[in-house]
Amino acid sequence: MRIRALFSLSLALLSCGLVACGTSSQSSSSSSPASKTITLGVDLPLSGADSSVGDSTLNGVKLAVEQANKMGLPGGFTIVVNAIDDAVQGVHSPQQGASNMRTFVADPSVLAVIGPYNSNVAQAQIPISNAAPLLQIGPSVVSDGLTIGAAARALRRTNPDTISFFRVCTTDAHQGSAAARFAMKLGWKRAYVVDDNETYGLDLANVFDRDFSKSGGTILGHDHLAKSQQDFSALLTKIAATKPDVIFFGGVTSTGGGLMKQQMARAGLAKVPFLGGDGLPDIATAIGKAADGTYYTLAAPNVEKLASAKTFVKQYTARFHAPVGAYSANAYAATLVAIDAIKRALAANANALPTRASVIAQAAKTNALSTPIGRISFDANGDVKNPVVSLYEIKNGQATFLDQQFF
Amino acid sequence: MIYAYAALAIVAAVLIDRFPSPRLRRIVIVALAIPLLLVPLIDPSEATRNLLADASIYVALALGLNIVVGFAGLLDLGYAAFFAIGAYAYGMLASPQFGLHIPFWVILLLAGPLAALFGMILGAPTLRLRGDYLAIVTLGFGEIVPQIFQNLTAYTGGPNGIPGLDVPSFFGKSFGASALPFYYLALALVALAIFIAGNLRASRLGRAWLAIRDDELAAKHAGIDTTRAKLAAFAIGASFSGCAGVLFAAKLGLVSPDLFGFQVSVLIVSMLVLGGMGNLSGVVIGSLVLTMLNSAILPQANMLAATLLHVHVDLSQYHFAIYGVILVAMMLWRPSGLIARRAR
Amino acid sequence: MHEFGAQLANGLALGAIYALIALGYTMVYGIVELINFAHGDVYTFGSFITLVILTALGITGEAHGVLLVVAVVVALLGSALACGVLAILIERVAYRPLRNAPRLAPLITAIGVSFILENALQLWKGPAPITVPALIPNPRFLGGTFSLAQVSVIVLAVVTMFALQFLVHRTRLGMQMRAVAQDRDAAALVGIDANRTIALTFLIAGALAGIAGMASGVYYQSTWFLNGFGAGLKSFTAAVLGGIGNIAGAMLGGFCIGLLEAFTSATIGGQWANVAVFTVLIAVLVIRPNGLLGTNLPDKL
Repeated sequence: MRIRALFSLSLALLSCGLVACGTSSQSSSSSSPASKTITLGVDLPLSGADSSVGDSTLNGVKLAVEQANKMGLPGGFTIVVNAIDDAVQGVHSPQQGASNMRTFVADPSVLAVIGPYNSNVAQAQIPISNAAPLLQIGPSVVSDGLTIGAAARALRRTNPDTISFFRVCTTDAHQGSAAARFAMKLGWKRAYVVDDNETYGLDLANVFDRDFSKSGGTILGHDHLAKSQQDFSALLTKIAATKPDVIFFGGVTSTGGGLMKQQMARAGLAKVPFLGGDGLPDIATAIGKAADGTYYTLAAPNVEKLASAKTFVKQYTARFHAPVGAYSANAYAATLVAIDAIKRALAANANALPTRASVIAQAAKTNALSTPIGRISFDANGDVKNPVVSLYEIKNGQATFLDQQFF
Repeated sequence: MIYAYAALAIVAAVLIDRFPSPRLRRIVIVALAIPLLLVPLIDPSEATRNLLADASIYVALALGLNIVVGFAGLLDLGYAAFFAIGAYAYGMLASPQFGLHIPFWVILLLAGPLAALFGMILGAPTLRLRGDYLAIVTLGFGEIVPQIFQNLTAYTGGPNGIPGLDVPSFFGKSFGASALPFYYLALALVALAIFIAGNLRASRLGRAWLAIRDDELAAKHAGIDTTRAKLAAFAIGASFSGCAGVLFAAKLGLVSPDLFGFQVSVLIVSMLVLGGMGNLSGVVIGSLVLTMLNSAILPQANMLAATLLHVHVDLSQYHFAIYGVILVAMMLWRPSGLIARRAR
Repeated sequence: MHEFGAQLANGLALGAIYALIALGYTMVYGIVELINFAHGDVYTFGSFITLVILTALGITGEAHGVLLVVAVVVALLGSALACGVLAILIERVAYRPLRNAPRLAPLITAIGVSFILENALQLWKGPAPITVPALIPNPRFLGGTFSLAQVSVIVLAVVTMFALQFLVHRTRLGMQMRAVAQDRDAAALVGIDANRTIALTFLIAGALAGIAGMASGVYYQSTWFLNGFGAGLKSFTAAVLGGIGNIAGAMLGGFCIGLLEAFTSATIGGQWANVAVFTVLIAVLVIRPNGLLGTNLPDKL
């Protein structure tokens, strides 16, 4: 008797707690169901360690939407942004990302989603957005497997032949091989590769490793860091003994890039260039002058050379009174792509609310759309055609543009 | 209306042990339990369903750990390792990773014994240690397991994990993209966990556990095979974690090493301490309160602070401080949990 | 050969820091049989205090001459004192009320205190790693294998260990500590104030963590609010490896773990370093629970 009582009691309690959960979360994700409203879902890490980059990326979306609404959309529609945080306990969470995507899919006014920021969140979201199907555009996720090959096909498990996920940044593959070419061009023949053993860093390092040796360079070794490693002395001693021309680091400043560069001086590696991808632009803010000698690539053209980029920077700083974030321009471009597709889908549907499928079809047809990061068209996988990768060097704590490569 | 229901249920929960007649008690309970099955139908938003499913998985985890910590008094700080083992079992056996597509239900059935096996492999040599050493060993185990999954890239996909896991189906009907089937499944697992835990406690084994928890030396002298009883607790607890792991992986469609870190183990321990170790209804309440806190209250508090006070506080970064306060405050002032069980 | 020597130096320096932390674990465990989970975070607090002190002295990089000596002494004493006081506070608030509670209660509280400290440190200096001034100049010895910072850290740990040995075995306080550790009630009968003795033990353990924090902050030129979690766990492993309650054992265990970590990084790869250390922990507890130097078997119940 006691057991059964307890059993039922627990069930009852479960229900009460859950109802409360349900109602409170519902109120947070409410969107006005006015018929002339189109919602743009945004999923980014907006709290915790990634929040500074998440906020500046969100600002890029907001700016594009505000400008589009000011210009007006066909049929008198307005676009509202529903941004949901995918960080839990201060760290981006695939679980939370999946939950957010379900929220977007369930809201019929959502015609496109911008995000996420992190590749492992994208892995959890793409199966859901693909099943809907709902247009999703990634501003910054670079992992190859999201769009290319069997891995990407597995993600599209419901509709394998529908490409609903696009991205405006280049892939790890391009960035890694660009870095390898830059290294050869700068005369660095012997490289030691280190990565942070996380999704982004490992992929990037593997591509560099492969392409650098393919183009005739020597890979002296390839090591992986442990999670939250503080002591790099053993690794750096090992690296110093191989006398490398360059150290390639796959990873971001906060997962070891900063600490490793900082400890290089004491290990007799002060003069060895430290090359990495777009996880390192903030290294000078983290370790100051010790960052000198860092080279990093960005999956975007040199902003100073593009007129559209200059305009964007001016508009962004005027609107938010803050410097442009590392992915603000990408988010702005991704949003332009989404809005452009929605506009064309509206036009094709006699200015009535289009279906999600037609928005996806229009996005795939995006043709040389002018954005601050260059002209955007997509290939059959949903990746940008003709991507550009630029190389920067940090001197006296300042990033200076060195070179760029077209693919 | 929903709030009224929630309030009513909480009042009933607190008073339930003081109800005069068992019959009245049962009626009230059944009346309150029915909406549980209907909730997702009343409130059709996917966010709610998803939250319900996740919450139920956590409740199942907490009930499993309760057998180890609450009944047998063994502090297991690496419980998420078994969760990871169950999840990776599904990830490796039902995905394009090795081209294996073993049905969900088969893996769900096998995950329990598999996790139990790992529990025994870890437990057999270490359970003779005293309690606080065991805590550290399990903590070490909980740190090692995800790192091994992360490092063995050829088998586990490394830090990327294994994406694109199979979608389960029920008699040929696919679960689809909705979280609803997972919710009902997790609910069934919770019901099973409550049923098994309740029966076990009243059994010979259960009494042995309680004896060990209260005084291991005395239990030994009373003729209880303490090592075997402890091993049984470890294995049963691990098997619940393994099953929950399969459910979790199938629902997310992805396994990756960062999903099973120390923070998961700690979250579950905090749920137990909050609700009262060894107390089934307390554990359920504890896990619900913490799930609610994580998924609903903290994000709302952030937004509230931003809109009302124009300050950008980020409470979600301070979850661990909240767990910490719970652990310290409960131990100092309410060691038997929020809702203390009446002495029997 | 040169590389081997340099790796030896790396391992010993890392081990010296673990050893300093392990001494605190061993002292506390020896007297109250509690795994002081928050000890690792007290160590992190020490490195934060060091940063504050060095900043206050206007030091941003390497220091020389008198300034170097003053800075080292002030930073060491300051962080030792601050951490000692913090440890006493923790003991008073979180552990003392539970001295007669079931064994698991203070352990759970200790975990809770650890989380609170971590988040307090995060609130203070943010979630990213923080730069600490290098302070120690960088000449190298023995054919370039040992740097001055490494030698200083190792010497500091060994000197501290001998001082602690002296304190425990040759002073009145040490005698009281050993008496309380052996039998609290009997100690009370002969007039020893157990609460005071335990509090002083926490003070010393905290001070040791502060010294370790200062050493690691300067040696690695960085600190991070979560450092204490991993370092604490590894140092506890060191204490168990050496034989918990044994001062020389903690030092030996610390050096062993440091060398294990350095040589794992140098050979198999850094991603296996943590796995190696925790495997050792489990193996030691299973094969030889009393540790390398432990004499009396710990009570198995």
